[in-house]
Amino acid sequence: MTSLNIAVQNVKKSFKDYTIYFLTLTFGVCIFYIFNSIESQQAVMDLTSRQSMALSTLSQMLGIVSIFISCILAFLIIYANGFLIKRRKKEFGVYMTLGMRKGRISRILMYETVLVGILSLIMGLMLGVFLSQGMAMVTAKLINADIKSFSFVFSAQAAKNAVIYFGLTFILVLIFNIITIRRQRLIDLIYADRKNERFKAPHLKLSIVVFLIALALILLAYFIVTHSGVFPTGPVLSAAVCMGVAGTFLFFFSLSGFFLKLLQQNKNVYLSKLNMFVLRQINSKINTTYISIGFVCLMLFVAICTLSSGIGLAEAIKNEMISNAPYSATFSMYAVRDINEEAGGASGNAGGAAQAVSGEAAPSYYQGLNIVNALASNGVDLTDFSDEYLEVRYYDAGTRFRFNTGDIPFDLNTQYVKLSDYNKLREMQALPPIELAADEFTVNCRMGNEWPEHTLEYITENPTLSLNGILLRSNVSMFASIPLITSENWDFAATIVVNDALLDGVPVSKDVLNLNYTLDNDTYNSMCESALKEFDFSAFLPNFNDIKFTGNMETRFDIIGRSNEATTMIAYLAVYLGMIFLIASATVLAITQLSETSDNVRRYGLLRKLGVDDKMINSALFSQILIYFGAPLALALVHSFVGIIVAGNIVGVVGDMSILGSSLFTAGVLALIYGGYFLSTYWGSKNILYKEYMNQQG
Amino acid sequence: MSTILQAHNVEKYYGNKNNLTKALNGISFNVDSGEYVGVMGASGSGKTTLLNCVSTIDTVTSGKILIGGVDITAMGEKALSKFRRESLGFIFQDFNLLDTLTAFENIALALTIMKTPPQKILSAVNEVANVLEITDVLSKYPYQMSGGQRQRVASARAIVTNPSLILADEPTGALDSKSARLLLESFQRLIAERKATILMVTHDAFSASYCTRIMFIRDGRLFHQLVRGRDTRKQFFDKIMEVVSLLGGDGSDVA
Repeated sequence: MTSLNIAVQNVKKSFKDYTIYFLTLTFGVCIFYIFNSIESQQAVMDLTSRQSMALSTLSQMLGIVSIFISCILAFLIIYANGFLIKRRKKEFGVYMTLGMRKGRISRILMYETVLVGILSLIMGLMLGVFLSQGMAMVTAKLINADIKSFSFVFSAQAAKNAVIYFGLTFILVLIFNIITIRRQRLIDLIYADRKNERFKAPHLKLSIVVFLIALALILLAYFIVTHSGVFPTGPVLSAAVCMGVAGTFLFFFSLSGFFLKLLQQNKNVYLSKLNMFVLRQINSKINTTYISIGFVCLMLFVAICTLSSGIGLAEAIKNEMISNAPYSATFSMYAVRDINEEAGGASGNAGGAAQAVSGEAAPSYYQGLNIVNALASNGVDLTDFSDEYLEVRYYDAGTRFRFNTGDIPFDLNTQYVKLSDYNKLREMQALPPIELAADEFTVNCRMGNEWPEHTLEYITENPTLSLNGILLRSNVSMFASIPLITSENWDFAATIVVNDALLDGVPVSKDVLNLNYTLDNDTYNSMCESALKEFDFSAFLPNFNDIKFTGNMETRFDIIGRSNEATTMIAYLAVYLGMIFLIASATVLAITQLSETSDNVRRYGLLRKLGVDDKMINSALFSQILIYFGAPLALALVHSFVGIIVAGNIVGVVGDMSILGSSLFTAGVLALIYGGYFLSTYWGSKNILYKEYMNQQG
Repeated sequence: MSTILQAHNVEKYYGNKNNLTKALNGISFNVDSGEYVGVMGASGSGKTTLLNCVSTIDTVTSGKILIGGVDITAMGEKALSKFRRESLGFIFQDFNLLDTLTAFENIALALTIMKTPPQKILSAVNEVANVLEITDVLSKYPYQMSGGQRQRVASARAIVTNPSLILADEPTGALDSKSARLLLESFQRLIAERKATILMVTHDAFSASYCTRIMFIRDGRLFHQLVRGRDTRKQFFDKIMEVVSLLGGDGSDVA
């Protein structure tokens, strides 16, 4: 028989042993291909230049992440391979006793590795190519692009990358295998199956102490990250992370011992069926497995957090961005002084406790400007594409809201708008108008999550302000926080609304044109863009030496597009990383379990001899593996729960994160991948036990 | 005395038509309650096959084996497991204790898999531990015990369920002579105090001399029987040695 024949025979024979290895490789290649083929998927999509640029950026980012991912996969493959070699030491021993040279054994092993490698590469690529067709649809939907016509896309680049990255990994595996074989002594190989890990009596009392310490560390870490403000920073966060990590490892180090001791007190549970056997089984290996289980738990934590909050974050950003686009388009003028110093910064009015202070009003650069007239005089008729538009002027009377909440008093820049303008703006958003008495003012503030609240509090506590010598009362019930312009950024200020007459003679500080298109579609958007974007306003503005005017136009179209692209990017990165981490953790667990099963053959065989029936044995094996898979998942879920709350706090600055949908998605992915690995581990172990038992029976 | 074990014309063949090995070739015998029966024979004589068949770990080709009046050759896999844990006790040459369990737990395991109520387990384990003098090692793990202690723990596990029949496969095989003697004496106590019945496979005449009856097996058949009767152990031992040399046991197959 040639070495190749032997290798083929071996792969066929031990196909079940190879299952996890094969599964991991195939999944790895498949996911790798899908995310690397995004660039080529553009072929079936009708893309604007911005969309295709966004996709290129995305695929570049995914390409960089792929290097990191392939390192993780390489580690996994080498780890899985190590397990296979360990399981087959005896077989190699037999080859050597029969006079086979180490070189030839290495060659057999090489053929096997290459064979399985090529098989899984082909399988993974096929699966990847197949699934990436669906992926193109998802991508198109996410970024709102149209599918031109469906055609089958194959990304040669992605396939090439997969072959290169995984090829390199296989070469590493080969080198690793050759070294392993070369260093083996025959005697060790032949007696490989008798060299069981020496069992040591557990220190159960120590376990209880360690368990309590672990719990304390974890709870303390939770407390720190949830109570140290919105952005836990630097040393505080590092300390919490260290405590969490240490706590996690100690938790798994002591968990089984703790439960063993606990259940030993309850004889009804402990002395029932195979309960004590299962507990002892888990406890017996914990000295060597707690590190890998700890890592698995942390990897799961990362996977769950990225999957659920990544998508949640993307959604939150998208919703926030879209909610900031109430009008089809907003055109605004900015006056920028060459020396980058805007008027009205923090005026050092000491002693002015929370009250409206008077700052220096911005110079009125816009006084003479009328955008609509300027456009009209050059033949641009807004009604061509817009059925609703409003030019809004903002007035600066030097009013500032001073907040003394932080260490340094903070002055919030405030501008005025006329009540009639404000109500028209509301009408354009289909909101009912508000009413104000002649001596009343109210405020509209839309700036993050906290500022509207602070501002409302402020005008409640400081119910009066003086405008041009007239004392105004605040009308708190009319307070609102609606967006007044379409902009990707927040309208960074509070806007005071007063009756029109009060603003006579107040300098104009900003001039903004809001438009709603006749029909909200691409045609009107391009009409509007070409009319406004290239319009030169300098002729219509007073001349200032040190001031430059910049026109700025933002459209809802752009914002929705950008938000879709941002969402897609974040979601893809999250799913890519999350999936890989999930596969990595499941693989490590599966392999730890399978390599233990070989050691457990003797124990389960003995149970059979003592008359334990298959049902009880299978259920003991099931519980054993379930605990191994369940324990790290359970802790990872608790970790993630806290992690997502913290992430939610951070994201809350951007927008509200709803994680129900993404949690369901995460649960689905978890059930599929993690559950799949769990079941194949159980079946694999059952199979090994059964096969070995039959072998012993002759 | 009632008959515990009846074997009727038991045959066990290995291989196929062209190359048939008759490991058991129509063997028949009875074991009564309270007997301490030794099975002796050279390597390949079929004694281990016999034990495997009686212990239901292996199936017979033809013939019947009745334990406590029940035909075990006609049982299904599930019934066999139940029968094995409820009616049989096993003692193996290499102890076969679970290394991860303490002595107490190893013994208790035989009861928990029978779903014995937990409150009864404690007293049952302590009772057999007393008889076998292993009370002081109950909280130890197998690797912390001597070989003799381990084998007595294994014996305790075999007896704690009050089985109809205890099957011992070379129980002294891995023990030094002092531990072996202690173990064999405790077997005698088990018979005297707990009305146990033991079927023990051995190739060691010294161990066999503790039995009340010896069955010699050769080529899958019952070749000869010795009953101790009123003989001293020394006299019985000498008789056994005679048969062993006749039988062509270990090292005496020179002629």
